[in-house]
Amino acid sequence: MVEAKTILKVSEIIGGDTAVSTDDGQKIFDLLAVSIQEKQAIAADFSGIQIMTTAFLNAAIGQLYSQFTSEELNSYLNLVNINSEDRILFKKVVERAKQYFKDQKSFDNAVNQGLDG
Amino acid sequence: MKIDLISKVCSDFEGYEYLIQIFRSAESSRDKTITLIFTKNYWFEANLAAVLGAIVELLEAKGKKVHLYNIHPDVAKVLRKNRFLCDFGHLPLPDTYGTILSYQRFNPVDDDAFMDYIKSELLTKPDFPKHSPALGKKISQSIFELYENARTHGKCKQIHTCGQYYPNKAVPRLDVTIVDMGISIKKNVVDYLKKTLTGGDAIEWAVQYGNTTKTGTISGGLGLDIMFEFVKLNNGKVQIISSDGYWEFRRGETLRTNFRSTFPGTIVNIEFNLNDTTGYYLIEETPEDIRF
Repeated sequence: MVEAKTILKVSEIIGGDTAVSTDDGQKIFDLLAVSIQEKQAIAADFSGIQIMTTAFLNAAIGQLYSQFTSEELNSYLNLVNINSEDRILFKKVVERAKQYFKDQKSFDNAVNQGLDG
Repeated sequence: MKIDLISKVCSDFEGYEYLIQIFRSAESSRDKTITLIFTKNYWFEANLAAVLGAIVELLEAKGKKVHLYNIHPDVAKVLRKNRFLCDFGHLPLPDTYGTILSYQRFNPVDDDAFMDYIKSELLTKPDFPKHSPALGKKISQSIFELYENARTHGKCKQIHTCGQYYPNKAVPRLDVTIVDMGISIKKNVVDYLKKTLTGGDAIEWAVQYGNTTKTGTISGGLGLDIMFEFVKLNNGKVQIISSDGYWEFRRGETLRTNFRSTFPGTIVNIEFNLNDTTGYYLIEETPEDIRF
């Protein structure tokens, strides 16, 4: 992990302690993606966030897999000050996004086959 | 057209089917004026105001005017407290016991308005019934997940919401109803899977972990699953009505069936059990570090 020079305070970007909407997640994604694209390490600071949803995290964090590899994300993105009870949401979103973007087409086919089965 | 309401309309399969029938009858009528006569009705569950509000919106969009006539005082009291009747010329009544999540309509584009509503009517309400902080957080999370689901999948003009606490029941509970009049779950799932499904089967598919009709750069398939997993642990209840589908989870049992007619949108009604001291975050795996 490259040492982060930029710290992005999530509560300041979304203007509050409730990180629940896809729109707010998109704001975070846009800022993180620019930094990672330029290979500038960035830390997303979740201190002060009281309520979070997978809808927000799918847009803010999961969507990063549409542009970056796990290696790139591990190198240039650090997530800090996440409430222990919210960590499980991050884990689910990251796992789900990896699965979703790994091969979107074959995943869609797998879903269809699963329904047939 | 005049429609006489039945004596009791509850949040169950029969109640929803009845409301769908009212909508379809009024919709197909040539009359521009629809009068719902409440003379025989003495029980209309408060959270169903969100469903009735959505039906009124649909009928008005078709150029009809809806009137409510001769509402029983007990029913009027509840519907004035939650402010549903304010749109029909009635004055609001104060929510003395703090048991109401008022009837509201939201423009899906304005996500802040719903956030403010939940904060003011749920999270910071001084008379919110006693519950653990972990439970309050899980309830809020579930409601926000559902709302985002309605916003992103329904693509509708308005989302109607309403809720009611029952603090004095043997098992204190909170009921919340969210209605969107956009694209139904059935249409989204059928279009995505390119298969013929009943409404009930389409809902069953949509609530499973990982299943999503999203195809863009934002993944999905977690929101309904997280809500559903929580309601199972909470020993609560969920009803989802979409198109001709009815899906219910209650006391560990899942029920899915179909209505005779279709509802042009999606209703989600959740009942949270407030007498729940489960330490949710202790039973879940909490990873120390987030690895991509």
